[in-house]
Amino acid sequence: MAANFWASSHCKQLLDQEDVDKVPQADSDRGITPEEFRLVKIHMSFHIWRLAQQVKVRQRVIATAVTYFRRVYTRKSMTEYDPRLVAPTCLYLASKVEESTVQARLLVFYIKKMCASDEKYRFEIKDILEMEMKLLEALDYYLVVYHPYRPLLQGIVNDTYKMDLILIHPPYMIALACIYIASVLKDKDTTLWFEELRVDMNIVKNISMEILDFYDTYKIDHQRGLPEDKIAPVMNKLPAKA
Amino acid sequence: MGDGRVGGGANRPAWLQQYELVGKIGEGTYGLVFLARLKPSHPHAAAGVGRRGPPIAIKKFKQSKEGDGVSPTAIREIMLLREINHENVVKLVNVHINHADMSLYLAFDYAEHDLYEIIRHHREKLTHPINIYTVKSLLWQLLNGLNYLHSNWIIHRDLKPSNILVMGEGEEHGIIKIADFGLARIYQAPLKPLSDNGVVVTIWYRAPELLLGAKHYTSAVDMWAVGCIFAELLTLKPLFQGVEAKATPNPFQLDQLDKIFKVLGHPTIEKWPTLANLPCWQNDQQHIQGHKYENPGLHNIVHLPQKSPAFDLLSKMLEYDPRKRITAAQALEHEYFRMDPLPGRNALLPSQAGEKIVQYPVRPVDTTTDFEGTTSLQPTQPPSGNAPPGSQSVVPRPIPRQMQQPMVNMSRMTGANMAAFNAASQAGMAGLNPGNIPMQRGAGAQSHPHQLRRKADQGMGMQNPGYPNQQKRRF
Repeated sequence: MAANFWASSHCKQLLDQEDVDKVPQADSDRGITPEEFRLVKIHMSFHIWRLAQQVKVRQRVIATAVTYFRRVYTRKSMTEYDPRLVAPTCLYLASKVEESTVQARLLVFYIKKMCASDEKYRFEIKDILEMEMKLLEALDYYLVVYHPYRPLLQGIVNDTYKMDLILIHPPYMIALACIYIASVLKDKDTTLWFEELRVDMNIVKNISMEILDFYDTYKIDHQRGLPEDKIAPVMNKLPAKA
Repeated sequence: MGDGRVGGGANRPAWLQQYELVGKIGEGTYGLVFLARLKPSHPHAAAGVGRRGPPIAIKKFKQSKEGDGVSPTAIREIMLLREINHENVVKLVNVHINHADMSLYLAFDYAEHDLYEIIRHHREKLTHPINIYTVKSLLWQLLNGLNYLHSNWIIHRDLKPSNILVMGEGEEHGIIKIADFGLARIYQAPLKPLSDNGVVVTIWYRAPELLLGAKHYTSAVDMWAVGCIFAELLTLKPLFQGVEAKATPNPFQLDQLDKIFKVLGHPTIEKWPTLANLPCWQNDQQHIQGHKYENPGLHNIVHLPQKSPAFDLLSKMLEYDPRKRITAAQALEHEYFRMDPLPGRNALLPSQAGEKIVQYPVRPVDTTTDFEGTTSLQPTQPPSGNAPPGSQSVVPRPIPRQMQQPMVNMSRMTGANMAAFNAASQAGMAGLNPGNIPMQRGAGAQSHPHQLRRKADQGMGMQNPGYPNQQKRRF
């Protein structure tokens, strides 16, 4: 497991793209399209990222949190599991799993500070603790996640968490795609290097194309995330908290 | 896994219906441990004996303190046990959540015995040592499980006899299961120094580098504990019974170090070069550096010839320098395990044909407590004996984390006759049964099906490629 990705629950749980893109019934009933489903996930990944900056946790904790978040919605609907609550709770759970626990009250404090203008994002400690248990269940108690990180390439790797790549491909393939993009951008010839690796370059290139497509399509501002006019109408389709 | 939906009356979660509760078998700071059986109607119940479902130990984590959520201990156990799968590691069969009261339940395959109870039974009831075959088989299996953990970059960090379970009669009779992963960690790429987790390993089994304040440590801390357990299996007494200095954030434990140095001699910079960098070694010149220890006498304590393979293996486990300490993988290859008697799959078989089988006592079960932990009926008792009802909770416990694991470590009462063996040290003893209430266990647990099963079981070890070559007579 920890030493062996191939024996891990993460490896066994890898999905096909179609399964990841599938909008849960309850959400499509509310008129959420696959594209909008994707937008919410991007938006909430940013939310986790920004919250994580406030409480100062490491990159790996954030990556684990976003992976949990995305995994949840391969099984549950956003209608039933409010992403505005699931997101901070994923960060809370990931911080425990990665042995750098952030207190729930601290999260609640920073959420209030960050989202002062939008009441829908604000939750109490009790909400987070209840959702933590529901998350454990939704994740089927599989908590160990592998990541494609090495200190280099952090920027591109971070961006892959705005997509569902971590649910579909093994981390090493995502890492190779990031290396591939970096080498192309830097005009370095890496053909030989990749040949020696004997990996399926079609897959590496496909992942790379997906990442580049993602940059083209969303043109995301790394500080601010998705533009408000793009995400707000989608979020309004989700039920307000009870 | 578990389904937390509330079903039936009285807010009972639906998952509860699949179990028949037998009673409480343990209690600790984390919560309670229950013995239950899968109902015969359950699809997995086939493994049970006769018409009863297989026994399951259910560890209930107490409702978290306000604002803390699921305890980190529970998270570690779930996270690690959900990934690992090995014959010598306890098997997590299910996780359940009761959303109504925010409690969490972990269901494990039930193990009837543990090394703590086995050692105690020999020390107090049988007064003869554990046979060599059993000691060797237990040790081999413990190392086998530990090698699996370590090769997966997991340090257990709390190995001690009560965390090493042994399966009772059945298909897995005499097989060791390493339990309690509440302190265990993946150490491949820790985000913080491991020492940030605070004190780990119950003091008697704690490695010297931890006692001296090492910030970074490795799987070698588990091997030190195995060495201590090996010695305890041989002598029936804990090897280094130090008294813990409590309530100091400082890891430095003078008394425990003193006990170790008395047996193993003084550590030296020549033999253990990184010793000089350990915070407590640097800071505590007068106590430990100044004191002179002589005549290391480990062989006298464990009654082993200094040239014997058993002694060689033990002293390599109790090597001061963690970098030189033998690893689990190396230990499994040691000569000790290649010589007669060879270790076997069922550690509890008699060592020689015709020898009497040791019957270890079964775990006491408190049948008066339900899953909520509320005591339903308290049979009226004449206030006889030394332990009036209710007194079991006041046993002073100098050992930290004494009560933190599944299936064992139940809050035992301190019996009056325990003075001979450092009674204050290993929690209380006499079981959960306040005032010796006659207890019921399941129904006719020790009848013929077991005997038949045991015979059928004897061929199984041969097929296990993981074991060293077996002698025919064992199986």
